[in-house]
Amino acid sequence: MLTGALAADLAVNGLVTGLFYGLMAIGLALIFGVLRIVNFAHGEFYMVGAYAYTIVAARLGVPLVLALPTAFLFGAALGWVVERTLMRPLYANIGSWGLMRDEYAVIVTFALSLLLVNFVDKAIGPYAFRAPALISASRVVVGPALMSGQKVAAALVTLAVLALIAFFLRFSYWGRAVRAVSQNRLGASLAGIDATAVSSLVFSLAGGLAALAGALLSPIINASPDVGAFPAIKSYVIVVLGGMGSIPGAFIASLLLGIVESFGAVLVSYQYRDTFGLILLILFLLFRPQGLFGERGREV
Amino acid sequence: MSGDVRLRREFIATALLLVLLALVPLVTRDVYWLGVLVVSAYFAILASSWNLLAGFTGQFSLAPAAFAMIGAYGAALSAAYYNVPPIVGLIIGTGVAGLIGLVLGRIVMRLRGPYLALTTLSFAEIARLVASNSINITRGDLGLPLEPWFNDRVIWFYVFFGALTFVICGLYLLLRSKAGLFLEAIRDDEIAAARSGVRIVFWKTAAFAISSAAAGFAGALYAYFASLVTPELGLVQQTGLVVSMTVIGGMGSLIGPVVGAFLVYVTSEWLRDVGGWQLVIFAALVIMFARLFRTGLWGLVTTALAPRRRAAGRPA
Amino acid sequence: MSPLLSVQGVTKRFGGLVAVADVSFDIAPGELVGLIGPNGSGKTTLLNIMSGHLSGDQGRILLDGEPCSGLKPQGLARRGLMRMFQLTRIFPRMNVLDNLLVGGRALGLAADEAKTRANALLEELQIAHVGHLDAGQLSGGQMKLLEFGCCFMRTPRLALLDEPFAAIHPTMKEIMSRFIRARHAEGQTFVLVSHDMPVIVELCPRSICMNAGRVLSDGATSQVLAAPAVIEAYLGGAAA
Repeated sequence: MLTGALAADLAVNGLVTGLFYGLMAIGLALIFGVLRIVNFAHGEFYMVGAYAYTIVAARLGVPLVLALPTAFLFGAALGWVVERTLMRPLYANIGSWGLMRDEYAVIVTFALSLLLVNFVDKAIGPYAFRAPALISASRVVVGPALMSGQKVAAALVTLAVLALIAFFLRFSYWGRAVRAVSQNRLGASLAGIDATAVSSLVFSLAGGLAALAGALLSPIINASPDVGAFPAIKSYVIVVLGGMGSIPGAFIASLLLGIVESFGAVLVSYQYRDTFGLILLILFLLFRPQGLFGERGREV
Repeated sequence: MSGDVRLRREFIATALLLVLLALVPLVTRDVYWLGVLVVSAYFAILASSWNLLAGFTGQFSLAPAAFAMIGAYGAALSAAYYNVPPIVGLIIGTGVAGLIGLVLGRIVMRLRGPYLALTTLSFAEIARLVASNSINITRGDLGLPLEPWFNDRVIWFYVFFGALTFVICGLYLLLRSKAGLFLEAIRDDEIAAARSGVRIVFWKTAAFAISSAAAGFAGALYAYFASLVTPELGLVQQTGLVVSMTVIGGMGSLIGPVVGAFLVYVTSEWLRDVGGWQLVIFAALVIMFARLFRTGLWGLVTTALAPRRRAAGRPA
Repeated sequence: MSPLLSVQGVTKRFGGLVAVADVSFDIAPGELVGLIGPNGSGKTTLLNIMSGHLSGDQGRILLDGEPCSGLKPQGLARRGLMRMFQLTRIFPRMNVLDNLLVGGRALGLAADEAKTRANALLEELQIAHVGHLDAGQLSGGQMKLLEFGCCFMRTPRLALLDEPFAAIHPTMKEIMSRFIRARHAEGQTFVLVSHDMPVIVELCPRSICMNAGRVLSDGATSQVLAAPAVIEAYLGGAAA
């Protein structure tokens, strides 16, 4: 039965999981906001980050303080390349592309996911890679809950990064530019904002954040070619719940999903825990496409 | 050139291809390669059925593999629990997939683009998770065994080719009728189609149901061939293969998915001996085709064959 | 004669904005009515309600004496109400002939019949030479002509044309207005939305002028254009 202590433990664990989800989902929401596409290769950025961190830290012996940013940069660079080479046709000539746009985006990102997973599977190998720990403490007491030290350390870094991102989007010129392009691409470019640069920026940022999530979690979930599939599906659910393209919505939905899953696994059904979020996703797209908070108009 | 003429030409080309492939057992009776062709035919049916939805109606579903899995379980469960003969199992598998497709198609009617992709992807994952976690009924990931229908590979080869021919002819008849016009109109502009009096709900749902039934049919047939049904049939990667085959072959043409399925699957079996990089190569090819030759191989062939007549036009 | 279309007290609000305010008028069979008014006067919104793309907040619309307010666009198309959009809507990946066939087959013509009819329309609209091209390859004016043709695959009971002459070459405008005049002479009913006053004067015996969602004036075109309220609406709005 659910005791107070268990409930507190579940809540803290759920919130921490939610933070990690946030790192993934915010990038996906940014991409959707600016480019109006779902990046079906988002999980593979996570995977790339996990490998980058593990290889740089464990094999090359780079200190952790540098290994984490390296993973971020690796993901960001990959994101930039992908945007430059594959996403340009999405808005290069808006008029004539029109019809095939959505199909193109799904096909290309879907195939990119297939490509990266299988490439890593062949080039590095299908088995999981053990990553070096972030800190040496194995157990930490957080308020009422006992948690793995890895998780706590990762959560602290995540919090700091999320705060930075929020600050950046809110106050910097480029942050404003991102928001402007999300609201009206044409209008923003008429106002002198370089929408193309914003797209590159957003894709790099999203790739970097997902890679960082992969790096931070790799001591807990070891890097393997398909390690990104699971967090990717979570972030699809979150982005839909938060209202496609809304950043604050995505963040709140991340925390909510973390908590709901943490309780649902104990209270409802452990076996089917992975289906809850997916059912929510379908119900939301059908009945409340603007998400929990309804910031945007209907897109469907 | 009229759409009619284009479609007829694609049908004749498909028929020629199938006749050519049907002659393979005269050349070799190698069990392994006949098996490869059987699986290719399975994928050709899946890709053709998905193409009806994605290429002709503009509904980009990510659930074709899930419907094949549903069809396979429909056959396997009815065989395991009610001991039905294969032909009945086949009908049940097809019917169940078609019915679920009908309901899902009606539900997702209004969704487009990324929204539809996400919804169908979630549906596919839910279906797979249910199959893999309902251990008391489906034996989970262990899979459900089935009595094989035939034991001779050559017979299986012709069964699958018969099934593929049946599906292709069915699609041809459907697309040649006014249904083909309506589906393409819906793909191009739903509002304009409605203005012209096309019954959007009916045709979109029908396309979803027919496509799902065909995928279920392929899955059920495959269940008897493999004599084992596992949730793996419904993996998203399987859908990835179906999409890859269709895009490489040529989306929105009758022949494209068939060419794509045989080319991709046979080559990938062949490449398996040289290090197994086949999936990397195909994924890269898909990206390249989507980026540069959106009409696929068939589009390239038609452009190459008629450069002058179509100089002003876009390839088929 | 009983009206073909009867608009009775139709009102539509978007938030605080009243886009269409208590609009009523009748259209008799065989009429060719111009619907005019400055930008933002509610013409297109009214058309959207008439063709089933929007539902009105109040009032009702009768087609042949039967209420048709709840019907979807395809239902109305089946009852003979055809709509041409202001922003061209065609099927870009289908060829021009097939574009026309869609409407014909959807409204019950047999294959041969539809083909004959489509070819006749292509000739009449002078786009037969591009009949084999994909519609997406046409010029803007040709697309307009194609969409125009799509509305006449089955003789509609009522054709609602929203700015058919906007931004196209005078020759194509001439093709369309000749077509409209000819069909009108045969008894076809039209509602024509246009900013092109000379064309309205030339084609439409009757006009309805809207401003700020209301009907300002309804009657013979010459009288409508001379009405002080109409002049005020145009000059006041355009400050010309």
